[in-house]
Amino acid sequence: MTYAIETQALTKRYGKNTALDGVDLVVETGSVFGMIGPNGAGKTTAMRLLLDIIRPTSGSATVLGQSPITGGAALRRDIGFLPGELLLEGRVTGRSLLKHYAEISGPVAPGRIDALAERLGLDLTRHVRTLSKGNKQKLGLVQAFMHEPKLLVLDEPTSGLDPLVQQEFLSMVREAQHNGQTVFLSSHVLSEIQNAADQVAVLRNGTVVKVGDVASLRASAVRRVVIDFTDAAADDIRTALLALPQLDNLTVADGEVIQVTGTVEGHIDALVKAIAPFHVVDLRVEEQDLESSVIDLYSNEANK
Amino acid sequence: MSQTMTRSILPLTRRNLADSWRGLLGWTAGVAGAILLYVPLYSSFSGDNAGFEDIIGSLPDGLASTLGFQDLASGAGYVQATYLGLIGFVLFTIAATLWSSAAIAGDEESGSLELTLAHGVSRVQIMAERSFGVVLRLLWLSVVSALLILALNDSSGIDLEPAHVIGGCVALFGLGVLAASFGLAIGAITGRRSFASAAAAGISLLGYILNSLGNQSADVDWLHNLSPYYWAFGNSPLSEGADWGSLGLIFGISAVVLVLGGFVFNRRDVSA
Repeated sequence: MTYAIETQALTKRYGKNTALDGVDLVVETGSVFGMIGPNGAGKTTAMRLLLDIIRPTSGSATVLGQSPITGGAALRRDIGFLPGELLLEGRVTGRSLLKHYAEISGPVAPGRIDALAERLGLDLTRHVRTLSKGNKQKLGLVQAFMHEPKLLVLDEPTSGLDPLVQQEFLSMVREAQHNGQTVFLSSHVLSEIQNAADQVAVLRNGTVVKVGDVASLRASAVRRVVIDFTDAAADDIRTALLALPQLDNLTVADGEVIQVTGTVEGHIDALVKAIAPFHVVDLRVEEQDLESSVIDLYSNEANK
Repeated sequence: MSQTMTRSILPLTRRNLADSWRGLLGWTAGVAGAILLYVPLYSSFSGDNAGFEDIIGSLPDGLASTLGFQDLASGAGYVQATYLGLIGFVLFTIAATLWSSAAIAGDEESGSLELTLAHGVSRVQIMAERSFGVVLRLLWLSVVSALLILALNDSSGIDLEPAHVIGGCVALFGLGVLAASFGLAIGAITGRRSFASAAAAGISLLGYILNSLGNQSADVDWLHNLSPYYWAFGNSPLSEGADWGSLGLIFGISAVVLVLGGFVFNRRDVSA
């Protein structure tokens, strides 16, 4: 097995502040690897290290078999990068800007830019500074994908994109994978990348908390449930639910509508079966924001 | 070799120029306006009845020498005092300050340098090409200056040797390049536009002040030796021709400063 990205104890400190703390990651060639974590977890720092925009304090990284520092410009021609905060300015059209980036990246096949722009619904004749955030993001995606690089490094690629374009983006990722390209992407929301990524690493405070496939991560994710009942006794419901080991933080608010809230770790099967005898008016299962589910993951890891 | 075929010549310099041509147009108009305003006025001052010398004589002691107005009666002295040594110098300093601080530090502060760096270009290439873009724009303003002064040479009566006009404009160009090299290097080292601007404007101002102080008396004449402004203009290039040795020193220092800036830039983290 070859690795498109391999890091060993990769560490980046800014003064006393540790942005990335001894991260070991391997991304298999041809895979789609997601990195999730709250803002400030170190996702962007890790990506900048891979592109030699910043240098590690200690540890090392290998990208496409080379160190980003010694690989230099030639290595970066084989990478397509989308920065997390894409700032595009200037009185130039999208087409002219992309032409410039094509000149300083790997060779771009004729017609490729137009094909990508059309897929994403991006107007290349407009001046860059007049573009909305979503359209700038599309421009950023085009410049990352256009030279069909061996490795795509995409920081929060779906941010600002509407759901239809997100779908198109996911199909571009799948095509890239089909072509043998490797995709390394980040998000602060698991749901945005769960359909794309084979493997996911959860980052928190600069360390990798967990690595696994999406299914196993989802199974261990903590979700918040809200259930409304009518025509039932609050005490009966409480008794039935207290018996469930997966359910925590239970509250039962009595009234005409009895509202039950709680958090569920893992599958919700047992919960659904436990409430089946009662009259359920509404059932909402919400994925917690990643901040809290990562905290749960983190504390679970610490307790084991 | 297919990769080298798609590589084009100086992509970053061309982008730099393409992004800035509107601004350059404005600077060209400013430089042209200053020359077209000041140089033709010489004929109205230079006549026997103009009393120009009397006006200078009436200025407080030291002010005339501070402003470099000792020799306003000759065409060379007049163009030196009004354009090359004053308005032109100020315009070149401001242009060099703005352009050099924007080239690396401004781009870094705005966040767009990150994306350029992520492509197939080295830091050294970015430093070299963007510096070249700034130098080219300053060269353009120098060429415009020389051509306009030469165009007005007869009609205004300044009566300068064409080679000396070119020498004087090369000296002005040199001071612009020196200021720009400090702005580019400090911008590349610190990534801060304010530091870059301070360095570029500061080196010009320092040279001007040292020269003015050196003009005051023979006791402090040695201050001239420290002033790039004096290196460029001290020998009165419009009447005597350029002092190529001193200009070589100015361009040499600029090159060293740029190399130092590129050296540090190549080794530091780029922030966003």
